[in-house]
Formats: sequence, structure tokens, C-alpha cells
Amino acid sequence: MLDRTKPPETPDLPPFKLPPVFETRLANGLPVLLVEDRRFPLVTARLGFEGGSKLDPANLAGLAESTGALLTEGTARRSAREIAEEVAAIGGALRAGSGPDALLLSGNALAENLPRLLELMADVARNATFPEDEVALRKQNRQQELLAQRSEAAFLAEEKFAQAVYSPHPYSRQEPTPESIDRLDRAALAGFRDRCLVPNNAVLVLLGALPPRDRTLEMIEARFGDWARAEAPAAPPAEFPVPRRTITLVHRPGSVEADIRIGRLGIPRAHPDYFPLLVGNTILGGGASSRLFTNIREKQGFAYDAHSTIQPLKDSGSFAVITEVRNEVARPAIEALLGEMQRMAETDVAAAELATAGNYLSGVFVIRLETQDGLAGQLVATRLLGLPLEYLESYCARVRSVSPQAVRAAAGRSIHPERAAIVVVGDAGQILGQLEALGAVSVEEAQ
Amino acid sequence: MTAAAGALLQIPIEKYALPNGMRVILSPDHSVPVVTVYIAYGVGARAEERGRTGFAHLFEHMMFQGSANAPKGMHFQLVESNGGSLNGSTHPDYTDYFEVLPSNKLAVGLWLESDRMRALAINAENLANQKEAVKQERRLSFDNQPYATAIVDRWPELAFSNWQNSHSLIGSFADLEAASVEDVARFFLTHYAPNNAVLALSGDFRAEEARRLVEEWFGGIPPQPRPPAPDLTEPPRQEPRWELYRDPLARVPAIVIGYPGPARRSPGFYATAVLDILLTGGDSSRFHLHLLKGRQSVIQYEANLGWPFAGPVDYREPGQYAMMLLYNPAFTGEQITAQVEAEIARIRDEGVPEAELERARTYLRSARLHRLESSHSRAMLLGKYELLDQRPELINTELSEYLEAGAAEIQAAAAECCDPAQRTVLNIVPGNNALPT
Repeated sequence: MLDRTKPPETPDLPPFKLPPVFETRLANGLPVLLVEDRRFPLVTARLGFEGGSKLDPANLAGLAESTGALLTEGTARRSAREIAEEVAAIGGALRAGSGPDALLLSGNALAENLPRLLELMADVARNATFPEDEVALRKQNRQQELLAQRSEAAFLAEEKFAQAVYSPHPYSRQEPTPESIDRLDRAALAGFRDRCLVPNNAVLVLLGALPPRDRTLEMIEARFGDWARAEAPAAPPAEFPVPRRTITLVHRPGSVEADIRIGRLGIPRAHPDYFPLLVGNTILGGGASSRLFTNIREKQGFAYDAHSTIQPLKDSGSFAVITEVRNEVARPAIEALLGEMQRMAETDVAAAELATAGNYLSGVFVIRLETQDGLAGQLVATRLLGLPLEYLESYCARVRSVSPQAVRAAAGRSIHPERAAIVVVGDAGQILGQLEALGAVSVEEAQ
Repeated sequence: MTAAAGALLQIPIEKYALPNGMRVILSPDHSVPVVTVYIAYGVGARAEERGRTGFAHLFEHMMFQGSANAPKGMHFQLVESNGGSLNGSTHPDYTDYFEVLPSNKLAVGLWLESDRMRALAINAENLANQKEAVKQERRLSFDNQPYATAIVDRWPELAFSNWQNSHSLIGSFADLEAASVEDVARFFLTHYAPNNAVLALSGDFRAEEARRLVEEWFGGIPPQPRPPAPDLTEPPRQEPRWELYRDPLARVPAIVIGYPGPARRSPGFYATAVLDILLTGGDSSRFHLHLLKGRQSVIQYEANLGWPFAGPVDYREPGQYAMMLLYNPAFTGEQITAQVEAEIARIRDEGVPEAELERARTYLRSARLHRLESSHSRAMLLGKYELLDQRPELINTELSEYLEAGAAEIQAAAAECCDPAQRTVLNIVPGNNALPT
């Protein structure tokens, strides 16, 4: 007889096995990772370089980002238009992006066009010329894009939070400013390329329906083998401020909500606290069954979304709770968030919460590896962080074996609200009074 | 076109219906231990009644508030504790829900979906709570964002004349407040019946076991009489429409331009989709080369058959081929519109060089393959093709229809777009006095 009253019994999560990864290194120091995936006639490539915006000089925020964007806008061999047309002709995409720790050139193509994809990737990584007219257009459009970004409350909050937590380390400057865009020129861009884009500072990941391994390696050798080794860039000193409580209001006239971020300096990615903190973060605000979602949205009805996040960077990191609430409830919402942070740091999580979080992280991790893009992203990130590939295979076991004591201890170090910075973007006329009830507020105008 | 272009690979499809009318699509694939449960109901915002704007979306929220055997909160908790993710979304013509799960957790997803289809928990407390959540969603996603209110509230009113098509999908606070528990119960009974639903399963499962589970959990849910479909007919347009919208949150001007779109699955449908790729697909597209690069007038753009709420997969007439362009403030909205139309007119008058068309076809092949990679994406395609076309096999055959769109058909599609009488423009500029809407 069918019993509808209880969820059906199902077996434990299936085990995860990473597909075989072949690893080698070219004579110039370029590590190469190959993965066979014949499900689809597609190939996916990543060429990652260590050192993204953290290598930007203090007065040139956005240099890594613009260097990446302009790699595909002209090389010694191809104009921007020729690059764009070749990318389309191979059924692919080719784009470089940058984050705080890395610059990443991402490409894909129909499998039959792998040689042409590799040729293009090598050309843009090695021979970009940063033509004057393309640099000028980039600067003009980036100014407008920045203006558009600054019309979004979430962008302003993100920008201010990074400053509150990381300043003066370069992690505090993850976006450009109008002045830094103005200062960009060919010399700075070429300088960044020469410093960061060298083979011994990179990793090449190639996966999909690849030709036989010898043939694939020959293709890679032909395009990247004579790329000269050079001194790898040194990361800036990993010096970070001691966390302290500050309250900052970015005044955005007309805001109908208060965009709230509360958090503090966390841990570098390779820290032993990483897995306990990851699990703790999931319990607190990682999904739709998390404490924040249940309390702030479902119970109190303060917000559409309430979540927490860790930014685990290579040299440090941050933790934050994030929500956007209607103006009238800014203060009670902040108090509720602080209370939830404190509870994480001072009491043990329940066994059921721990199991849910471990299973959720484990299951979603495997789901994300369903696509070539997902697997390539994990491989390149693991390598750029200097972690062994075994890390990927053991991920599921690790997130499912964290103890309540470990979560509490890690939360005590990274989540406890005592030294957390509070950043709010909203209309000062609507919410300043509520914030002042919590402590001294520094008010800044939205730029 | 290469010989194999139309038949890249075959996605398996088994299609059947339960006696209660629920349509089921099974598509097993054992390469990754993941399974997706996707369910789409044939009711969306265009079926709403006057005074109840935003109701379909409010109801979507109610679907996560618990059911007879899954109390409030259990849906999220059960999916996540079994290693899965989930969501739901409301569209003009349908509303859909999914769970992506580790493969041996299929039964969990089917149990949850069947329990809420059979006996949703509809009560005043859940409704009051979700009205607040939806109001918060409106503040977050629209009222506090540049451009978004103009797009969700004003653009449909300008582009369409029939209220069914032109009212706001997210709805007004007043209409949300007016929704009663009885409204919710009636909507549930009428539209969330098995004979108005398509269930698509894709990924690592055994068809035999899936058939058994589907029969067990969904078989006993009774069908309901189908209400008449809403009349979506648009009166013919005689003159262009243009409106200036001052957006107090915007810092950079943007313009929305749209033209009435073709009938779904007509030759013009495929040709317009290819025309869109020629105009806006990638860095070798005409907008990129001629407007962003050449004239330096446009900064960013997006376009689609069905923009902003649909794409070719779920486009249904009456719809629009529409686009939004963020533009350089040194230009005017009139200039941008003229430049866009000049690009379309050039294709109408001069056709498309074969090399350029071949690039667009390669783009289509590649894009199709990428959409087949994940079980979630495959299940969504199968479910939507069944719901909107009664042809899930389109997942395997549709690509060749796009590849066969020739230069002459694309020129004809461009000519359709170029009729100025049919044009709708919403010019969104930074400013402090939003026009009454």
C-alpha cells in the first residue's frame, strides 16, 4: 500500500568519482591538464593566470580587468574583427575575465575546431597589441558601464563592503573608479600582460571530445611550447586590517529598500577552517532551508532574500550576511542578522542541520560538474589555488564529515558579529535614524 | 551547411500520458549521476483576470508553502538534505518548477511534486506571508533597480493593446493585497490539475522505475475541466508608438525597441531568430561591429524573440521581437532607433553574405549542443516543447529548421521588422520625474 504521509526512503548519496585527469608540464613551466569527455562534440579550454586585480597598482584599479577585456581586441596577427569572426566560425566563445586572484581566458568550440581554438587562445594570450582606438573605446564604454553599475544598490554595497573589510590591501579595490579608467593606457596594459601572462604563472585546462593524447599534446606544444618563461609576478604582502565594528551608510536617494551587508575579514582559501566555515555558512545562509532564509524571509517577512556568503580568496577572505529589506524594518532586520551570527559562533549546530548542509554541498557540487564548463572551472580554480586535484575527489567526503564543534570554532573566528562591519545602502532620510540607534554611523554619498 | 549539422546527437524520448491527462516525457541518460524533475503547468501571467495582476506569480510562491504531507518548510529542506537544488518561475504562458537531484533521489522529487499537485496547503497565514515576500521581491528586483520598472510595468502596456498581454507580470501592490484565499484555491483547482501539466524527467534513471513511481504518486490525482483559453488577440497596429520614460534610478540612457513577432513555428519564426543572431549574436554580429565599434553609439544590448520574458523556445504569439540597448549619452534615442533600423534595412535590401550566414549557423549548432549538456536544461526543453508544441522531439529536430532558414527568408523577416507603423519604442533616460504610467 502506498504511503503518502512520509517522504520515500532513498539510498545514501551516490559516490563521486572524478573523471581521469592527465597532467603534464611543458618545458617552459606551463602545466597542462587534459580530460576526455566524449558525451558531446565540444571542447572547452581555460588558460588561467595567477594574480588578477590584486596585482593592480593602487591608482590603476581595473587594470587586470581591462587587460583581459582587450586581449581579444587585436593581436600582432589579427584585428579585433578577425578574432571575432574566427571565434564565431569555430562555433565558439573566447573571453577573458578577471577576479581578485586570477585572470582567466575561457574558450570553447565545436570539437572539430580544436586546433583553431588553441591557435586563437595562444595568439591573444601572447600577442595582444592593445590598439589605441580599441583602448580609447574601452575607456569610454567602461566609464558608462561603471555609471550603470553604480545605479545599482547591490554594486554600491559590494564595493563599500570590500573597502570596509580589506582596505588597504588590493582586495579592497575589486572594481575600477572613473579616475583609474581615465589613467589606463597601452603602456600599463602591455606592462600587466608582460608581468602576469607568462607560461610559468599559468595553467592550461583542456577537456571535451579531444583527439588522441599524443596529437593533443603536439597541438599544445606547437602553440605554447616556444612561449618564453619569465619571472612570475609577486603577490602584494598579505597584510590585512584587524576587523572592527563600523557602520557605514551609503546614501542612495530614492531607494525603496535598505541593502544590508554585515561581515568581516575571514580566512584564506587553504586555511583549515575552510570546510567547517563552508558548512557553517550553508547552515546560516546557504540555501532555501537555511536559518537566514527561514527567519528573515519566511518567518519575519522582512525580505525576499537573505543569505550569507564567504569569499575565500587566496591570501585572505571575507564572510558576509546579505539582505535587502523594506526601509521601515532596517533596524530589526540588522538586529536579527547580528543575532543569527552570534548564535552560530556561540552554540553548536544541530546534527540534522549539519547533515542537510553536508548533503546539499556535496550534491550540488556534483550537479555543477555535469557540464564541461563546470568541470573546467573547478579544475582551473583548484590548480590556481595550488591545491591538489585529490581535493576535488575528496570534497564530498569532507563537507559531510565536519563536526558541530569545528563549525562553532570556525564561526567564532570568522562569523562572530562583535567585530563585524555593517554596510547599508539606502535613502538616509528613511533609515539613518534607525542605524544611529545601533551606533555611530558614517554617511557617504553614493558616487 | 555540413551534412551532420541537423543531427548532432539524439536525445532519447519516451512520451505518454496518464489516464488523468498528465503528460509525461522520459529521457534517460546515464553518463552523470544526476536527475532532473521538471514540471510545467499551462498557466501564466497572461491568463490573469483584471484586478488580480501578479496572481500567477503569487501563486507560484504558494506552491512552496507546504502540502498535505509536506509541511511548510519541508520542500526546501527535503530537496537540500538530499543534495539537490530547486526553483520555480512564472512566465507569460506557463509556470514551471524543477528539482535537480542526485540520481538515486528521484523518488523524493516526484513525491514532493505530486503531493503539492494533489493537496496544496492553502491558508490565510501562508497567503499573507507570501504577499509580503512578493512585495519584497517587487521592491528588490524592480522598484529599487534602474530600468526594471519601466520594463516590467510600462513596456508591455506600450507594446500590446489587449489587457491580457499588456498588464504587469509582477503586478501591483493593490492587486496583490486584494487576492483572497478563495482566489488561490480556485486558481489551484482550475489550473494546477494534472491535465494541464507536463512532467519531464531527464538524466540518470531507469525508465521502468520512473514509470512506476509516476503512476503511483500522480495517478490518483483527478483531472479538472479546462477553462477556455484567454483571448490574446491583438488588434492591428496603425501607427508607431514612442514614449519617453524618466527613470530616477538610471544613470545611463537605455532604449527598448520592439516589433510584432511572427507566428510560432512559421518560417518567419525561424528566420527572425536567425536575423537576431546576425544582428546581436556575439562579437562578430552587426550591432557589435557597426554600432558598438563603428559608430560607438551603443554600449551594451540584449535582444530576443519574446524579450524580455521569453526566447525562441517559449515564445508564443502575440509576441515581440524586442531589444534593449544601453547607449552613449552623446546620442539621442531617435538616433539609436534610426541606426538599429538602418542595420535591419540593410539586411532587408542587400541580403546576407554566405560566409556570415554560415557563421550564424555554426553559432546555432554550438548553442544547441551547449543546451543539451545538463539534465536540467534537457528536461526544460522537453517540457516546454511538449507544453507549447506537443512535440518534445523538437529537441532533436528543431535545429535543422533554423539551419534551413535561407537568405531570402531572413530578408523577408527583416522587411517585417522594418514597418515603422509597427514599431514600439520606450526611451528610458535618467531623470527625476517619472511620467505617470
